[in-house]
Amino acid sequence: MHFDWPYFWAQLLTPSSAFLDGLGLTVIMAVSAQILGFIFGLILAFGRLSPNKFLNGLAATYIWVVRGTPLLVQIVFIYNGLAAAGIVSFNDIKIAGIVFPGNLQAGILALAINEAAYMAEIYRAGIGAVDRGQFEAAKALGMPPAMMMRHVVLPQAFRIILLPIGNQFNIMLKNTTLVSVIGVSEMLLVTETINSATFRTFELYAVVALYFLLLTSLWNLFMGWAERHFALGRPAPEAPRAALETPA
Amino acid sequence: MSDDLLIEATGVEKWFGAVKVLDRVNFFVRRGEVVVLIGPSGSGKTTLLRCINHLEPIQNGRIAVNGALIGYRERNGRLIPDAERNIAVQRRDVGMVFQRFNLFANMNALQNVSLAPRLLRGTPKAQAEEQARALLARVGLPDKANAFPTALSGGQQQRVAIARALAMQPAVLLFDEPTSALDPEMVGEVLAVMRDLALSGMTMVVVTHEMGFARQVADRVTVMADGRIIEEGHPEAVFTDPQHTKTRALLGAVLH
Repeated sequence: MHFDWPYFWAQLLTPSSAFLDGLGLTVIMAVSAQILGFIFGLILAFGRLSPNKFLNGLAATYIWVVRGTPLLVQIVFIYNGLAAAGIVSFNDIKIAGIVFPGNLQAGILALAINEAAYMAEIYRAGIGAVDRGQFEAAKALGMPPAMMMRHVVLPQAFRIILLPIGNQFNIMLKNTTLVSVIGVSEMLLVTETINSATFRTFELYAVVALYFLLLTSLWNLFMGWAERHFALGRPAPEAPRAALETPA
Repeated sequence: MSDDLLIEATGVEKWFGAVKVLDRVNFFVRRGEVVVLIGPSGSGKTTLLRCINHLEPIQNGRIAVNGALIGYRERNGRLIPDAERNIAVQRRDVGMVFQRFNLFANMNALQNVSLAPRLLRGTPKAQAEEQARALLARVGLPDKANAFPTALSGGQQQRVAIARALAMQPAVLLFDEPTSALDPEMVGEVLAVMRDLALSGMTMVVVTHEMGFARQVADRVTVMADGRIIEEGHPEAVFTDPQHTKTRALLGAVLH
């Protein structure tokens, strides 16, 4: 076996602009799909927690279907399937001089739809893990349900689900590679394209793997900080010691 | 219905599944009155308290606070469940203190106390916080404004919880076994705050096993057993000359 070290280092340390564009697309897709997933997921979670049978059933069905089918199939279905059926075609949109390609829109949408189903269950678990006494105290003060959720329950649920959220975005970063099947030039597709011209397969895929490892590692660092920063019931920074003293 | 009746519960019945936990309960509290509810565990006293602010639904009878039905509205002579939003508005006048404190874990003491007036009474932040500091001082915790619940002892948490309930300026305060989850050395500090409140004229309904408190502070003691009110009267009368055998058994068990 021959490993072309100089080529490997060159690709790793001085990547082509096409590869860097791919890196950018990977990050853009992951971040935007995750944000949309957070929002759709919260709406779905409220559906699942709703006493309204129709809303509850609707949310449960969505989660059942989306979690029960492969993401790869969902991506192809949304981009190619819907267009073939004449339901939705994703066309390029130009916003402020920047072209936003149809396949990128479809890719982000598919990732977001998929993510929402998982986030919904994570929110539901987080809300369910908040102590019942917190709900009761908010109710007893006279807070209507939405206010109780916003000020009391969700901030605590968020801290509980911080670790699963960390997992989700880690998975999301890697799942963006699946969008290569509909022709979005993210890192993997760019690598495949370079490979088909150079056949330095081992070196090139090692490089793309390392770039993903870099992205997920940066995310890990951020999550480590977030975990320390948002620890539940953290004493106020100005009085950490005095607060622990026994009362006079 | 007399004007000075703050809580009027008549013919209240409640089941948990097949178990009847409240059986035709009639319970009245006048403005300014301190009523202590006692009874063996499982007698329904906590459930009755939780029905007064509709944390528990009832299956029969009616409960009115400040002259208005809570939890239900009357339509064509029948009671139908009220909207959650309306119930929330009524609860603003009924403060509650829980056995397990239930301070909001994501907020420090000051935020716990000032949150509800800000959100529900429209009090400006600075004013709500000033009021909260005054209340924390009143419960003996002027220096704990920035402390989170996890950094406070049980007794301190319960005192913050009392301040939080007071911040809404409720017409009545409900106490659900406020000292039962406390270490013995912290019971006194909480009871002292409650005693001060009672002396200030606050209307209070207290579920407790603290017979000393009941004797000293209560205007009336209500004894429950098996979901019924079995005896009611001035604390001296109930404690020195209990009429019901179950009251005697209860007082014997608690006092000795």
